[in-house]
Amino acid sequence: MDRFDEFDEILRERAKQEPFPLPEDYAGRVFRTCAALEDAPAKRRHASRWAGVAAAVLALFIAVPNVSPAAAAALAEVPVLGTIVELVIFRSWTYDDGHASADVTVPELDGSAAAREVSDQVRAYTDQLIARFQADCETLGEGYKGLDVASAVVTDSDTWFTLRVDATETQASGYEFSRFYHIDKTTGQVVTLADLFREDADYVTALSGEVLRQMEERMAADESVRYFPEEFTAIDPQQNFYFNGEGELVLVFDEYTIAPGSMGMPEFTIPAEVYGGLLK
Amino acid sequence: MMQAKLDKDTFSALVIQNQETLFHTAKAILRSDEDAEDAVQEAICAAFERRESLREADKFRPWLLRILVNKCYDTCRRRRPTVDLEDVADYLPAKGEDHTERLTLWQAVMALGGDLRAVVTLFYYDGLSIREISGVLGISEAAVKTRLSRGRAKLRQLLEEE
Repeated sequence: MDRFDEFDEILRERAKQEPFPLPEDYAGRVFRTCAALEDAPAKRRHASRWAGVAAAVLALFIAVPNVSPAAAAALAEVPVLGTIVELVIFRSWTYDDGHASADVTVPELDGSAAAREVSDQVRAYTDQLIARFQADCETLGEGYKGLDVASAVVTDSDTWFTLRVDATETQASGYEFSRFYHIDKTTGQVVTLADLFREDADYVTALSGEVLRQMEERMAADESVRYFPEEFTAIDPQQNFYFNGEGELVLVFDEYTIAPGSMGMPEFTIPAEVYGGLLK
Repeated sequence: MMQAKLDKDTFSALVIQNQETLFHTAKAILRSDEDAEDAVQEAICAAFERRESLREADKFRPWLLRILVNKCYDTCRRRRPTVDLEDVADYLPAKGEDHTERLTLWQAVMALGGDLRAVVTLFYYDGLSIREISGVLGISEAAVKTRLSRGRAKLRQLLEEE
């Protein structure tokens, strides 16, 4: 037995032996909670589920795409997005069999090659999410699965357009993640993070170092803030980003990737001096 | 593999059997007794509603813990960044306290950082494996090992300082 094993054994033994403080009425509260559980709804759903699922799967999985009346009404209120990005329609896909549910609503863009390229990327991405949802539904048995996808225009200026697509997958727990799509209206090009920088610029190292610095700084300033600096090695070369209202570069990380779920989707605003010399 | 068909009585018996583990885990994440009790209650109700998603009855404990951990994270999201001073005070030396008194393991665990407490509690108090902890907390096995290693080193330091 090595030194750590011995210490593990000591700790396990102490965990068993030492009294653990439970609140006075905790056991009573657990008991009352269990006693108040309602048994009937789950049993009823269990008995009728498979027929319902089969019909719903058949009806809904082939009804793609679809346009919701609500989305169409909202469309009329959305102005034309700049000169080369137009929002032409909302694509909507919904599914609900009582156990698994999905609500996917994303825009289709037109007006330029770049807008259509973003639209194709969004469609491919959401098709992938829907396919994953469908595959999970097939293997889920009697579990619960949820998928919600919505979008928002983050920026629409004379020179720049950013569309944000937010997704939440739920299966016992919720997992939030987003994708950002950018168009440089001055060039008419779809832009990723790498496209902002010169080919020879090591922007990954520069931005990663700043993210790590901010993680440490925030944790030192506030004990309730937690990240995983020891598990963070570098940003993705195509890391999600957007430019905020002040024109600052903001890097966005999916939930659970660099922090506990309690931190949601962390964002880091990067000072221009960190990357200014690396830009194209 | 045992197929789970939990009726209310069986479900309740399993909950009661695991009630200390549930409280350890919630308290390790939330620190506050009141929040931990609320999270346990919410998790029991949510788990009962979704109990058909439990396909192997012998996985009841990690399955319920996973639901509880998510309830705890929801609580953290709602309340961040405030910290209840009374809860912090529980883990600070009181005035006039006899510092020769032995630090309990739980006091030492609660002095760890937030990301270490749950891993350490599930490993030492509840005997979960690295893989099970990974599933419960939704993090990689490598991350569990890293945190366990850091938690162990910190506990050694805290408990041997006495």
